[in-house]
Amino acid sequence: MQQLISFTTDYTRYVLKGGTKFYAWMGSLAVLIVGMMYVFYLQNTDGLIVTGMTSQISDGLYLANLVFLVGVAAGAVTIVFPAYVYHHEGMHKVAVLGEMLAISAVIMVMVFVFAHMGRPDRLWHMIPPWGIYSFSSMLGWDVMVLNGYLILNFICGFYYLWCKYSGNPINKKWFIPLVYVAIVWALSIHTVTAFLMANNPARPMWFHSMMPIRFIVTAFAAGPSLIILIFLVIRKNTKFWVDDSAIKLLTTIVQFCLGIAIFLTLSEVVVELYARTEHANGLYYLMFGLHGLTGLVPWFWSSLVLMVGAFILFLIPRFRNDFKLLTIPCAMAFVGIWIEKGMGLIVPGYIPSPIGEVTEYHPSFVEWLLVLGIWAFGFFILTILLKGAIGIMLGEVKFGGPAVAAK
Amino acid sequence: MKKLAIYTTVLALCGGAFYAVSAAEQAAPAQPAPEAAKEVVCFESRKGASEVTQRDIKPGWPNVKCSPKTGAALWYGDPYDGTVPMGKMPGLDKIPEGHAVIKPRSEKLALMPMCGVSCHNGVGPQFSPPTLPKGKKPVPLPTMEAMVPDLKDLQHGRGRIWCMDCHHTTQRNKLVDHFGDPISFDQPQLLCGKCHGDKLRDWRDGIHGKRIGEFTSTGKKRWFTCTECHNPHNVQDGARNRGFVQLQPEPSPQLPRGMKDASHEKLHPIPH
Amino acid sequence: MTPNETLPTDPAKEQSSECPVPPMSADPAANVLKTSRRDFLKSGGALSLSSLMGTAALMSQSGDAEAAVEWAEHFQKNYRLMTPAEKAEARLRLEKRYSDEYGKKVSVDTTEAQPGVLMGYALNIRKCIGCRRCVHACVAENNQSRGTKRPGEKIEWIQVLRMERGKFEQEKMNHGYPEGLGIQVGGNAYTPAGAVLEGQYHYNPEKVPEADATYMPIACMQCEKPPCVKVCPVRTTYREADGPVVIDYNWCIGCKMCMNACPYWARRFNLTTPVLPKEEMNPVTHYLGNRPRMRGVVEKCHWCLQRTRHDRYPACVEVCPVGARKFGNLLDPESEVSKILERKNVFRLKAELNTFPKFFYFYD
Repeated sequence: MQQLISFTTDYTRYVLKGGTKFYAWMGSLAVLIVGMMYVFYLQNTDGLIVTGMTSQISDGLYLANLVFLVGVAAGAVTIVFPAYVYHHEGMHKVAVLGEMLAISAVIMVMVFVFAHMGRPDRLWHMIPPWGIYSFSSMLGWDVMVLNGYLILNFICGFYYLWCKYSGNPINKKWFIPLVYVAIVWALSIHTVTAFLMANNPARPMWFHSMMPIRFIVTAFAAGPSLIILIFLVIRKNTKFWVDDSAIKLLTTIVQFCLGIAIFLTLSEVVVELYARTEHANGLYYLMFGLHGLTGLVPWFWSSLVLMVGAFILFLIPRFRNDFKLLTIPCAMAFVGIWIEKGMGLIVPGYIPSPIGEVTEYHPSFVEWLLVLGIWAFGFFILTILLKGAIGIMLGEVKFGGPAVAAK
Repeated sequence: MKKLAIYTTVLALCGGAFYAVSAAEQAAPAQPAPEAAKEVVCFESRKGASEVTQRDIKPGWPNVKCSPKTGAALWYGDPYDGTVPMGKMPGLDKIPEGHAVIKPRSEKLALMPMCGVSCHNGVGPQFSPPTLPKGKKPVPLPTMEAMVPDLKDLQHGRGRIWCMDCHHTTQRNKLVDHFGDPISFDQPQLLCGKCHGDKLRDWRDGIHGKRIGEFTSTGKKRWFTCTECHNPHNVQDGARNRGFVQLQPEPSPQLPRGMKDASHEKLHPIPH
Repeated sequence: MTPNETLPTDPAKEQSSECPVPPMSADPAANVLKTSRRDFLKSGGALSLSSLMGTAALMSQSGDAEAAVEWAEHFQKNYRLMTPAEKAEARLRLEKRYSDEYGKKVSVDTTEAQPGVLMGYALNIRKCIGCRRCVHACVAENNQSRGTKRPGEKIEWIQVLRMERGKFEQEKMNHGYPEGLGIQVGGNAYTPAGAVLEGQYHYNPEKVPEADATYMPIACMQCEKPPCVKVCPVRTTYREADGPVVIDYNWCIGCKMCMNACPYWARRFNLTTPVLPKEEMNPVTHYLGNRPRMRGVVEKCHWCLQRTRHDRYPACVEVCPVGARKFGNLLDPESEVSKILERKNVFRLKAELNTFPKFFYFYD
């Protein structure tokens, strides 16, 4: 018990201390978070009318970011899986960082759930025993698997850190099975989120069985891209050294998954546009516009260019081996998939409406600020979690030892 | 009464429509009283033939709400306002007594007061037997044609029917059935059903036409009769589409956020 | 004949004779208090969260009854799971709030589905002239938001689609898709006819019907297998025993999943607090029907439950100037809808989705 208290205090003390750079980073995130809170307040007093959402386009950036971040959370499995199943040395060292990323991503997803709801004050309606849990609702399942994933990652990540901190050996009897459960669970969160969209025959753009696999491969491209970027930042700014082998393996994963994602996108384009049924109207609107309305066309093509461009750059050895240059295709893939999930998948699902009304989506300032604020909130948490984890991994935070200030 | 009758005659001559409007409604704008200015009149189905004046049944509860844009009746506070029992009708035996009601039309017909009073009352100008049509063949009716010029251009039946196929020969404020017996103007279905049997059947079963009130098959309903929706003298008019006189539509929906206009709707989704 | 004696729509009569629950008293606040206390004493330990909160709030701050009433509203259960006593209490609470808010006596009906009734709807698509009276009658009856300042403040449940008649033309015979060898693989001699996804919703001609157009009104189809109900995570939207799919607006969390699932775009979102002028508010309401909604919840057509539960036609049926709209009991072979199914050619919109609408289009 005393160990636990000292773990908490040491951990807190460690993550709160930092250099100017650290405070500047956290401060600017805090500003965005305050802005986010203000627009969230607006949204819950005036209503969602302050956003760009309408009855026609009933979800937009919020749901898009939600879906994307579920992918990022699931993407953490690209570290955990090689680390625990293939016993990859470099990965094993950083597996806990992946879990920290998953925790922050899931928390962001939860905040986006709040953001997109009309009545977040009534969320308790879906939590038994006060509320009702509906097993037929995909959203119910999604909330369940997301919470499960959060808990699993919290347990796995912090148990590992706790053992490192206290010097106790890891109890592999339950830890390893739990890690395996978490790996499968990671697939489930993105699959269920894909079902959340795909199980709507009303929306032909989403209604196909390719959705889960597309979600998974894009997630396993976007997630590791972000992880590579974070690793490079960690290598530059902390004493913690992420092995080249880990980054190289992640690069390979990103490249393969990105390739498959592009392939699936092109397959869909061919299948939909060859017959060009009414059900292809959403995709047609996305690619070329419909009724002369072309709001999403630049988004689609920029996403395609970013993804294909990133894939080509990944093929060039110079970009793979020079970690400075590697950031370029990683950032391209990340942004490309972010666009593909949002403006490229969620929004065109609403255009045209199921009865053929074509309207356009114009996200409002409130929406952009809220999205930015939630990302800032996520990075705020991620920074704290990574800092604490790195401190423990480096042995700077250790039971019995004096708490050493960061850097 | 006579003055009123002359007034309506002039109106009818100008308008040329036999069923134009009730004399009372025409007189309303002439009244200088502020009450008249406030009066809201809307039409139910056929403009000029189904007008209803808005009034409060009780405070804050109007008999009808009218569209500010088109003057159409948009909501009924009391579906049975101003109705009377429909009367006997073959095939409606299952409906309890008094559950089928109609809005009497006789009082809305502009020339109606005159018909019985001025001419066809047995007192007015003497129409000795020669002017009454013998047999069933059409003959000129100079007096009537002078009053309602459009009668010469009857847009119903394409020349195969004429006035006396529908109107009673001696009782001009009545319609006529197959046996030559009079039918009330409030029950035009008995007349129209002579030819339009399939429509009568659908109307009787509630498939054709309009009823308001209770939806249960034995519930109390106000039945809209044929002439509340159709102008029997003018069913082939060119300025209409699929049998309906054109109306001004109610306003279109609000454009969603971010849409400046709906002109894109007029384009085809993909240019051909 | 005085209308008060014969009207089924008369609010006073509805409250006094047709509703199984006690009538609204002159002072609804007193009634809430009374009911709550009675519940408290009678049901003892088996109290609901809502009545507990309501009672506690009312007892502690009797000075601010309205706030207490609203506070209790936040803790009430899903309507379907309420006991009759809780329903009566929720009803009185709402009547009090609405009456204060709209400055008139508002009744909130809680009449249940009647046995032997399954509502059905039929629309004669050949007759529809596209006048949109149904749209506006619906708004007048069902207390939708009708603001005009900001887009999204005006909600209409019925959409009327204008479709081109279309035609094939001699001049266009050689329009097509010439391929490499100049051999046509397809023609373009047509202009689209009857294509739902190529229609207009914002048409605004001087007069309707237009010669080159047909019209198709679309609203909630009250499916027998409603996809919107399946996706609701809190079961706030469900199919009532007599057919209509309804929403407990107080239980809706505004997640909008039902809006994604509906193939008929029948659901609307209250983007802001509904703009409903006092004088235009319809005071005869049903709990699952047209009672005023709040910000952030979904709403839709419910076949005028406040009317149809008392046998009255829905508002849209009553105003259709051409009698294209038909409504009745599908279990009664003599009803107009049953007769239409028996006699006319009917079709259902998007039948391929197996939603089994109880809304039929027909033509004669």
